[in-house]
Amino acid sequence: MRRREIIALLGFLSVGGAMALWGNLASLFWRPRFNKHTAQTLTAITDLMFPGDGLPGATELGIHNRIAAMSDLHALITDGVDWLDRRAKQQGAPNFLALDESAKSAAVEAAYASDDVATSQFIIKLRFYAGRAYYSEPVIKSAFPYTGPPQPDGFPDFQDPPR
Amino acid sequence: MSNGAGWDVVIVGAGAGGAAAAYGLCQRGISVLLLDAGPRFDPAVDYPLTGSDWDAQDFPEKPGSTGKFTFAPGQKLTGVEPLLQSGSRGLGAFVTNGVRWMDKYHHVRGIGGTTLHFTGESHRIHPAAMKMKSRFGVAADWPIDYAELEPYYIRAEELIGVAGPQTQGARWRSRGFLLPPHPLSYAARTLGRGAAKLGLDWQANSRAALSVAWNSRPPCNYCGACNLGCPRGDKGSADITFVAAAVATGRCTVRPDSPVVRIEAGGTDRVAAVLVGRPDGSLERIPCPHLVLACGAVESPRLLMASGGLANESGEVGRNFMDTLEVTVGALHPDPQHGRRGLPDDAICWDFNAPDAIPGVIGGCRIGNASSESEIKGLAAFALAVPGWGRAHAQSVRRLWGHSLHVGAIGERLPNDNSRVDLDPEARDRFGISLARISSWLAESDIARLRFMAAKSRELLAASGVQEIFESYSSWDWFAASHVFGTCRMGADPATSVVTAEGRSHRWRNLWVTDASVFPSSGGGEAPSLTIHALALRTAERIGKDT
Repeated sequence: MRRREIIALLGFLSVGGAMALWGNLASLFWRPRFNKHTAQTLTAITDLMFPGDGLPGATELGIHNRIAAMSDLHALITDGVDWLDRRAKQQGAPNFLALDESAKSAAVEAAYASDDVATSQFIIKLRFYAGRAYYSEPVIKSAFPYTGPPQPDGFPDFQDPPR
Repeated sequence: MSNGAGWDVVIVGAGAGGAAAAYGLCQRGISVLLLDAGPRFDPAVDYPLTGSDWDAQDFPEKPGSTGKFTFAPGQKLTGVEPLLQSGSRGLGAFVTNGVRWMDKYHHVRGIGGTTLHFTGESHRIHPAAMKMKSRFGVAADWPIDYAELEPYYIRAEELIGVAGPQTQGARWRSRGFLLPPHPLSYAARTLGRGAAKLGLDWQANSRAALSVAWNSRPPCNYCGACNLGCPRGDKGSADITFVAAAVATGRCTVRPDSPVVRIEAGGTDRVAAVLVGRPDGSLERIPCPHLVLACGAVESPRLLMASGGLANESGEVGRNFMDTLEVTVGALHPDPQHGRRGLPDDAICWDFNAPDAIPGVIGGCRIGNASSESEIKGLAAFALAVPGWGRAHAQSVRRLWGHSLHVGAIGERLPNDNSRVDLDPEARDRFGISLARISSWLAESDIARLRFMAAKSRELLAASGVQEIFESYSSWDWFAASHVFGTCRMGADPATSVVTAEGRSHRWRNLWVTDASVFPSSGGGEAPSLTIHALALRTAERIGKDT
């Protein structure tokens, strides 16, 4: 899945831009401020990104907790949440969580489209890790055909139209 | 012939070339020590492919299974290449800083080498592609011809159990494939209808995967996951074919986790020993009555250069590096295909494989069903390739899952002065040995070939009824090579080559090379493993004959 990871994680950027981002991130002073508000915002974004649409949503499956446990993402997430909160304040709301659903959606879209590389990477990485975890969940996979493990049965119907 | 050493021949590298050389030597009654820097893999334990998280896995990495190397800066990209720019409809261009991205050299260290994770295409090189200099004025001629290699192809194919069609055009055969071709998958037949509209020949790919039971191995069950490792043993990786057969003779000792860090030269025209790194950093000296290098086109020249420029009297060690020239295009078909079902890359078109088959450029290519190169092996990978998020994204994933088709082309890569492997002046491994540094530069002819490959791939997809191309990537802006060649070129002239037509160093009488580094030209996109096997079997017949 390595090429897929590269496409998903770096695809939005030039490779040169990604390298510059890495340099910037590495030079950041560590600020351990991943707090309850950060976690709640992360939950809201995860829910917005992978709501389920008839299947269990990502937060229902605890995907947000898995992302929160990825400590190497904390700096990126806390800065991203800051960005979203600042934007919400400019719109008269106390923070991102206070926005209604459509405004939340617009804010995440704006973060993704931001010229600030770290902010867009916040959304890209969140989408990647949450999406990968979500669509790897057995309950989600079981709703799609041909998602089971390759072995031990293989695909006896490989010559036939898909079922 | 052992001269007091424990073995008649020491082989460094247990991949396609080293394993086949070991088998060939053991068949002759010669004892072999087969060393590899990497570990031994246990298919049942290391890649069972039965877990629900199978699609989150790659071919497993174990300690020592990936070599270290560095890249010289990437080539500056010039011009606008809409067909070659790697990117996707949803994500845009992947590389926008104007420099070719030197990403990765795909390989596996271990008993079986890169064949452990290869797709298992089993190709003979086009006969005309062995005579690129004399017939087309580029690259170099092989010092042997197809007829010389053909009996060794047969021998390798029979041990592996290669399944293939009756004929393969210019690749004449003295005997047909012993195993029938694999039936084409549903997705490959969809592409086949497109090929028929274009008047292209579309046939079963010849595969190192069993279509029927063979040598106590079961037939393939079409799980589509060859690149993750084959737990059943139907894929003919070198560990379960050549290595197993060599060990069965009782004359082959296999030592994984044994990195050779230096070759010790002897007095005049013979190498004396190899030095093997131990986990504690010390070195073990192993005498070598004969030494076979089979570490691949990156590590073999590195080892020679790191051993005081051994066998480099011509100055050609590390030069003439050729990497994989590749295009992959992904598209969405109106109807579900679920192309993961079946053998990856099960169908192929050889129509443009001859060196003069592409209009206006020398060097051929092959085009095929690229279900393997796409790396969309599971739902998560596909979902992430669908742009966006939210309900609309969920609905798109549900609607489009299984609709993707990929076509890919691999083409001839001509050598040039700017593409080479040398020693990195700074980076070293844990034994203090300089790492290999890869430089790759595409000439205009390579780019022209890529343009043709991309255009033809898109044409085939369009003829197959796809509605939307959603991604495309190529080696124009993204170096991610798996087939590498040419850095210890074979030839008749000691001034322009490293080894003889037999694979022996022009100077060192007991030093041999049996990997793709000896290829004078890359071929027109053929997978190289079968040719490596054949060359290694041929070399194994010569070793020790005049000592």
